Amino acid sequence: MEESRNTQFAQRIRTRIWQELTDADNPWLATDARCHGYAHSEMVGQLDYAQTLFLLLRGELPDARQRELLSRFLVAFCNPGPRHGATRAAMNAAASGTRTQHLGAIGLALLGGEHLGSAEVEHAAAFLARHRDADPAALARTLIAAEAEAQNAADRRIAPGFGTLFGGIDPQAGALAALLGAAPGAWPVLAWGGRFAACLREAGCGWLAPGVAAAACIDLGFAARAAGALYQIASLPGLLAHGLEMSRQGLQAMPFVPDENYEFLDPRDGVTVRDPAI
Amino acid sequence: MNAPTIWETRRHRIVTRKGGWRIGEGVRVGAYSLLDDMVGEHTFFELLFLEVTDRLPSPELARWIEACFLCLSFPDPRIWCNQIGAFAGTMRCAPGAAVSAGTLASDSGMYGPGAARSACEFIEEVTREVRTGESIESIVARRTTRSGRLRAPGYSRPIASGDDRVGALCRFAAELGIPDGEHLGVAWRLDAHLRTHSADSLNMLGYVAAFVLDNGISTEESYRLFTLIVNGGIHACYSEAADEPAGTFLPLRVEDVEYTGVPSRPLPRGNTA
Repeated sequence: MEESRNTQFAQRIRTRIWQELTDADNPWLATDARCHGYAHSEMVGQLDYAQTLFLLLRGELPDARQRELLSRFLVAFCNPGPRHGATRAAMNAAASGTRTQHLGAIGLALLGGEHLGSAEVEHAAAFLARHRDADPAALARTLIAAEAEAQNAADRRIAPGFGTLFGGIDPQAGALAALLGAAPGAWPVLAWGGRFAACLREAGCGWLAPGVAAAACIDLGFAARAAGALYQIASLPGLLAHGLEMSRQGLQAMPFVPDENYEFLDPRDGVTVRDPAI
Repeated sequence: MNAPTIWETRRHRIVTRKGGWRIGEGVRVGAYSLLDDMVGEHTFFELLFLEVTDRLPSPELARWIEACFLCLSFPDPRIWCNQIGAFAGTMRCAPGAAVSAGTLASDSGMYGPGAARSACEFIEEVTREVRTGESIESIVARRTTRSGRLRAPGYSRPIASGDDRVGALCRFAAELGIPDGEHLGVAWRLDAHLRTHSADSLNMLGYVAAFVLDNGISTEESYRLFTLIVNGGIHACYSEAADEPAGTFLPLRVEDVEYTGVPSRPLPRGNTA
């Protein structure tokens, strides 16, 4: 028999982020708002996007160095590129006539993945936060020794955000790490990640983009969950740009695998399906 | 010469055991023709099971899975995923956006398919421990924190204790002639122990977890099979809100949101764009 637990729910939504200022005549309208105490009307024109993001997520304005690193981050991860599954999802949808308002959600849904997506950024951020004080060489040795054999000889992961991309070391990820690390200031997690990646080189592994994004976010003081979200925020413009571009090109603009390249392992031909007993 | 990499073998090429469409020849789902073998012969849930697992289930098992979907189809917009459907309706979003967003929300650690996955992993683990001879008392003790909180997915439920859906699904399984197996046996023993010693008891997701494992469905397969399990309620809540005037579902006055942050302050000079 079901019984209520008499759970005590909040009577009102509470937020430390945003304060709306009530219109004197209509209690449903707001005349302005404050973001962590700063008037929204003053922020417009005085703050840039990096400052605004930092304020929204951290509650304070960034200092000049944090602002510069976050600005670089937003540019570095502005586009996962046209080969990334999330971008291809947005392009596929657009080419097949999907209503434009869905493109962002479709792209971001796929950018949430554990393979090169925001879930990997979040896991990488948790990994970096946990191990940032460890000896990178010793940790690399331990993790390489413990590495499980990659499934179907596909990509390896020594740790979230570190491994191989298409079987090799991703040169772009390493370059982005260097560009972010070169932002004025001391960025110890990016530096630690660089040392860790160097220790993986002999084993054929290195930085992956989610690892770089995660390291920058930890250096900026963001929690792991926020790191994943920031990666999504940064990447959305690229996903949308590719989607919008494709929406003008039509259905035939995306490749459609021809029948001769579509191999169906037909169980009628004796190919065994799993557990056919059921 | 090195063997081609997995990426080279799949470049511009799809290899699948699921089936596909050949124009003029028809659509295949595994060993079956979609139009000749499935339409009119099998239910949607039999087909869904086949598409996920590559196995055609018994009609009884498919009907039981359908019953699970019925059990999670509360047309109550207070339920979190359904409320997202209602917001989508009031914001005049497309139904696909509503159901997709509500479905994503149900991938939660507290309820829905996300919690069902944890429940599967839990009962699988406990069943292994029982096989090694460990007592239910010891299994519970190891999962109880010092503060007395039990970590047992499938054995507690937000807002309510007890779960009437378990009885309904049990009765239906009996009607269908599907017996309890090893996992359900363990699940019931755990339920009996917890009912005696706490306010926790087997909930629907815990029951479903043990049931599916007993019926040869893996944890991962069940996570996939039950992805859309809450969609009925989302559809309902979306539809009603979409038929009402825009922006009228649970509207908030400014004062309905309590601000708890820092007080008003001026933007610092010198740190702005």
